[in-house]
Amino acid sequence: MKPNRRITPYLFLVPAMTVFGFAVLLPVIMTFGYSFTEWNGYGPMVFVGLDNYVKAANDVLFRDSFVHVLLYIFATIVLEVVVGLVLAGLVSVRRQGSLWFRVAIFTPVMLPMVVVAVLWAFVYNNDFGLLNAALHSLGLDDLQRVWLGDPATALLAVSVVSGWVFAGFYMTIFYAAFSQVPAEVIEAARLDGAGEWQLFRSIKVPMIRNAITVALLLCITGGFQGFDLFYVMTNGGPYGATEIPTTYLVKSVFTFGNVGYGSAMAVILTTVVVALGVAFTRANREKSEKVQP
Amino acid sequence: MTDKRRIALAAVAACSATALLLAGCTGSDGSDDNVLRIAMGSPGEAQIRVWDDVAAQFEAANPDVTVEMNYQDDDLYQTIGLPNLLNGRNAPDIYFEWAGARLEQRAADGFAADLSDAVSTGPIAGLFGDDVFTSLTVDGAVVMVPHASDVANVLWYNEDIFADAGLTPPTTWDELLATCDALDAEGIIPIASGNKDLWAAGNWLAHLTSRVVGEDVYSSALAGESDFNTPEWVEAFGYVQELADHNCVNESANAVDDNEGAQLFFQGKAAMHAIGSWLVSWAIDEAPDLNFDYVNLPSMPGDGNQDSVIGVVTGYVVNAQSSKQDLAAEFLALLNNDGNVQAFIAAELTPMALSASSGEDVDSRSAGLIEMLETAPAIVLPPDTGYDLETANALYAALAEVLGGQSSPEDAVAGIDAKLG
Repeated sequence: MKPNRRITPYLFLVPAMTVFGFAVLLPVIMTFGYSFTEWNGYGPMVFVGLDNYVKAANDVLFRDSFVHVLLYIFATIVLEVVVGLVLAGLVSVRRQGSLWFRVAIFTPVMLPMVVVAVLWAFVYNNDFGLLNAALHSLGLDDLQRVWLGDPATALLAVSVVSGWVFAGFYMTIFYAAFSQVPAEVIEAARLDGAGEWQLFRSIKVPMIRNAITVALLLCITGGFQGFDLFYVMTNGGPYGATEIPTTYLVKSVFTFGNVGYGSAMAVILTTVVVALGVAFTRANREKSEKVQP
Repeated sequence: MTDKRRIALAAVAACSATALLLAGCTGSDGSDDNVLRIAMGSPGEAQIRVWDDVAAQFEAANPDVTVEMNYQDDDLYQTIGLPNLLNGRNAPDIYFEWAGARLEQRAADGFAADLSDAVSTGPIAGLFGDDVFTSLTVDGAVVMVPHASDVANVLWYNEDIFADAGLTPPTTWDELLATCDALDAEGIIPIASGNKDLWAAGNWLAHLTSRVVGEDVYSSALAGESDFNTPEWVEAFGYVQELADHNCVNESANAVDDNEGAQLFFQGKAAMHAIGSWLVSWAIDEAPDLNFDYVNLPSMPGDGNQDSVIGVVTGYVVNAQSSKQDLAAEFLALLNNDGNVQAFIAAELTPMALSASSGEDVDSRSAGLIEMLETAPAIVLPPDTGYDLETANALYAALAEVLGGQSSPEDAVAGIDAKLG
């Protein structure tokens, strides 16, 4: 049915665009503006030009926060995407009876992240936590650690929690993708004598390459957005070992009242994430173009 | 550019302009309604009941007025919570604050009303001793009505554990280290600390450093008037390292928060706990069978006054931008009348009003702490309430690193100056 007036479709967009303008566009523009000022959130706003950006470039803690988040992303690619892929492969081998396994593995995804963080903070507690208690009961006292208090283990400990939560999410994505693999291809491979591992590695995974690409992109961009898990479990500690850009800029704005500096860091972080996303998408598109005849 | 694109862009621009206009509608002027708004960090259930009762009393005496209480999470209130409230549409008319740099900042920002007349000849006159307003005066104006004074840190000890181990509370540095060794040998955590948020052990160790470097050097460095990277500060941090070397503190100190640290003490897993005067009501609630008492920080080798106390006065400020300042002063007078003072004492808080010394029995430990603070030859302000928060955080972080064995005293103090630029 054609609209009577050409403007009609756009009028339907106005409510969504209003919300987008108010909730996304306006804060982004305002944050960009604040990044050129020195401001504590309520006093006089002083224009300082690029000073905040220069400060961020020279801020060792801010630079280290990017290293930490990249390490976290690498760990979550393994713990979330790879584990999710393997789990999807396992549950897709025999679909009958796999529902309860899928529900169980997906359940953590439905929990609020703050609840997960508090729960695992207790699990990791050195003095009365579940993990050290389990290690003690198994006679593995040498493996006990102050998991969230040791810089050598804190980041990995947080990454494991993230993997526990989101492996189920990626498992669901890959399970759906595996369902789209033509049954005839699987059947033909089986007739040729392929085992389950060969089917998984040589047939199923290559055929869901696009889903894996999307999952990787989600994991990487999601990693940069990570905040609540780190804030509740460690708040950037111990000794800054789990400080990531989001926790650092939140501290700058909400603890120290450096709205201008925090805004500059937010702009830098956004630029990095967008650049990575664009680069990733372009690289993937070039790869697809090369593959096509 | 096609017509369609032009229209789409125009729609986006119109939405954005609408959004901007809507955003411009917010303002931070004080409200002219008949609601008296009071904001504070959560003081605990017992005190909240007293506050709610005071609010009800005020409403009964002023039928046209509604009192609205706003209790925020402590950490949130101390950082972004209060500034957000003060700049919001319905800013509080009365709000909780700590004396020191924070109070001076509120006055400088125009959020602290001059209460000089109210406390000298107005409704608040006669409720407090004269000396108490000295530290609450900024540029000649009284800007805060005191409510309670907190000793920010002492060493609480479990009397039963000490008795069983044949120990006496340490009064010198060497005695403290010897006590740590004895308790550690018995598998008991000498001192419990929950320092994940850096302030719990930070206050304790900041007091320790002030005893070594002296109160003036301590204050000067925290005020940004001198460097931390000096031999005196390195020496002070060296004593923190000794605490780590003697296993004085639980391994998890920098991984758990103050609640979890206190639980180690309440459950008898730790013999001592370094925290402030608020432990009294907390322990009575959560560990009623715990026999505990306190000693001030043991004397240190150093230039500071070895009987100094780390403490801070807290109270309530009337918002200078409020249109109900007279009403606010009357509320604060009601808050500090004899009956309500006694009610707060029953809720394990000891107000600074003159009438607090009569009537209900104050817990002997609380009374002792108040007396210790009032008679202290020197008072050291906690870094996070008495000074700039960024400087305080840099000091706290450095102390935590040395306490956790992650950094040497030399690197830690150099790191503070590097962080502060």
